[in-house]
Amino acid sequence: MRYDFTVIGAGVSGITSAITLAQNGYRVALLEKADRTAPLLRGFSRQGVHFDTGFHYTGGLGAGEPLDIFFRYLGLSERISSYSFDENGFDIFHCESPGFEFRIPTGYDRLQERLGEVFPGERAAIRSYLLQVRATCADLPYMNLDVVIDPNASLQRIFGPTLREKLDSLTENVLLKSLLSSHCLLYGVSCSEVSFAQHAAIVGNYYESVRGIRGGGLSLARAFDARLAELGVDVFCSREVTGITVGPGGTLSGVQLAGGDSLECNAAIATVHPRILLDLTPEGTFRPAYRKRLAALEETVSAFMCFAVSNNPVPALAGANRFLLPDAESLYDLGKRPIGDAPLYLSSAYREGAVEPHGFIGICPILFTETAPWESSRFGKRPEGYRQYKAQALERMQRQIERAYPDLAGNIHFIEGSTPLTVRDHCNTPLGGLYGVKHMVGQYNPHSTTRIPGLFLAGQAVVSPGIMGAVLSGFLACGTVLGHDIMRKELKVCC
Amino acid sequence: MTDQEIIEQINSSLAEEFEFALNDMTPETTLFEDMGLDSLDVVDLVIVLESAFGMKIREEEAIRKIRTLGDIHTFVINKKRQMESA
Repeated sequence: MRYDFTVIGAGVSGITSAITLAQNGYRVALLEKADRTAPLLRGFSRQGVHFDTGFHYTGGLGAGEPLDIFFRYLGLSERISSYSFDENGFDIFHCESPGFEFRIPTGYDRLQERLGEVFPGERAAIRSYLLQVRATCADLPYMNLDVVIDPNASLQRIFGPTLREKLDSLTENVLLKSLLSSHCLLYGVSCSEVSFAQHAAIVGNYYESVRGIRGGGLSLARAFDARLAELGVDVFCSREVTGITVGPGGTLSGVQLAGGDSLECNAAIATVHPRILLDLTPEGTFRPAYRKRLAALEETVSAFMCFAVSNNPVPALAGANRFLLPDAESLYDLGKRPIGDAPLYLSSAYREGAVEPHGFIGICPILFTETAPWESSRFGKRPEGYRQYKAQALERMQRQIERAYPDLAGNIHFIEGSTPLTVRDHCNTPLGGLYGVKHMVGQYNPHSTTRIPGLFLAGQAVVSPGIMGAVLSGFLACGTVLGHDIMRKELKVCC
Repeated sequence: MTDQEIIEQINSSLAEEFEFALNDMTPETTLFEDMGLDSLDVVDLVIVLESAFGMKIREEEAIRKIRTLGDIHTFVINKKRQMESA
């Protein structure tokens, strides 16, 4: 049986692509290496508490906002229920030195007002920053459905200025700059490397509104599954793609699977890490320049994560995520500070059906090289030295969190930790990047079109990480196939 | 580096990275028609030049105007000269 399309990888970008193509009448096979779809969305449970590892909240899901429209188009809206994070503080920015806390509200006007109250001398800088974020977002393909897709769009995301350069040009207030850079932790790139345009494209959505999904990423994964089944997409889990076959004339003709099977198709959308893509494509199909570019792509920081549970509900953790910074300059060199003295991101965890949190996940950006001594070990077979490293790291992280939030001490048990090796093995990023390939000034990430006719790319490397970036990358790939104007028209019907 | 050395370096880098025959490369060779590049390849072109000459290329307007191999030669020579005098 020959498919119109195979989609390689059933993460958010792959599922988005599969649904979009199926909705347009194509016969689609969706292939996933893991034993279920969207493994990173599903998280895991310990001691009755569910930890979301891949999804903590999202911007742009308020009524009529981009992700709300996208979910309606994908047939998910009726299957999930979302709730607003605290409008007066969806994120709590906590700096230890100097001691400073700020609750980041949603809504551009409210954000501008609150920032102005705390930094009265910086009102002009704040206004200018927010205006520029807003203007950047208004120009983004698919985020604004009136924007005509231009293949020669501006290269500002690659050419810069960096976020740090932009903020330096606006203000000398180190604390304000740190606060406005804090969302770097959501995409894993330092403010001195990410372009202002890329940063704006991500945070702009959060400045509008911030929502969670009831039941977390797992509910979203189930909604995706239900929609795929409804559309008759053939989903194959535990089926790893090992190669892409190219027919006469260089056009894509099928994919090879682990175990020797193969699947015939007219075209494919690959959502794998660009470096893995190189291993899948036959020698000579890409020019050396392109191969070298993909092979050299840098990844974002990796992370050490802690998972903590509480016997009693912890209402203080509800409604907001937390950025915990040792000092105002700790976002300049993401990943290079030792655990315990590095920035941290905390997000609450819930017992099934509970309204108040019973724990949290803590994410600390560190470099992949930190676990280099155990690089060749595999999950379930790590040596003793690795276990000691993990226990010590967990303890340092616990001390840092309890220093910032003394009320939690005694009530919270740190039950598990995960390292860059865990990230590498679960996220399929060869260098352990928590958010995959980095989006930074000077790095040219791949486009959705490739040199192989019939092969298209989606995934976080193309647009940005997060649900929004993954969905957008799926639309870009499908728009390349179906025509961007047609895609935009279909989406507009869902406005 | 003399202008001629710069031109030779550009041609040999492009020949290697894009699999062109050196003999076919003249200043009049057009990138899109003769060499078969498209807008997707422009990014790789920029990266190849950046690494061959250890420079950062951020001149978006100038890059978009490049049509022939000679345009690349002129662009890089001017940029090298600017860097040297800076």
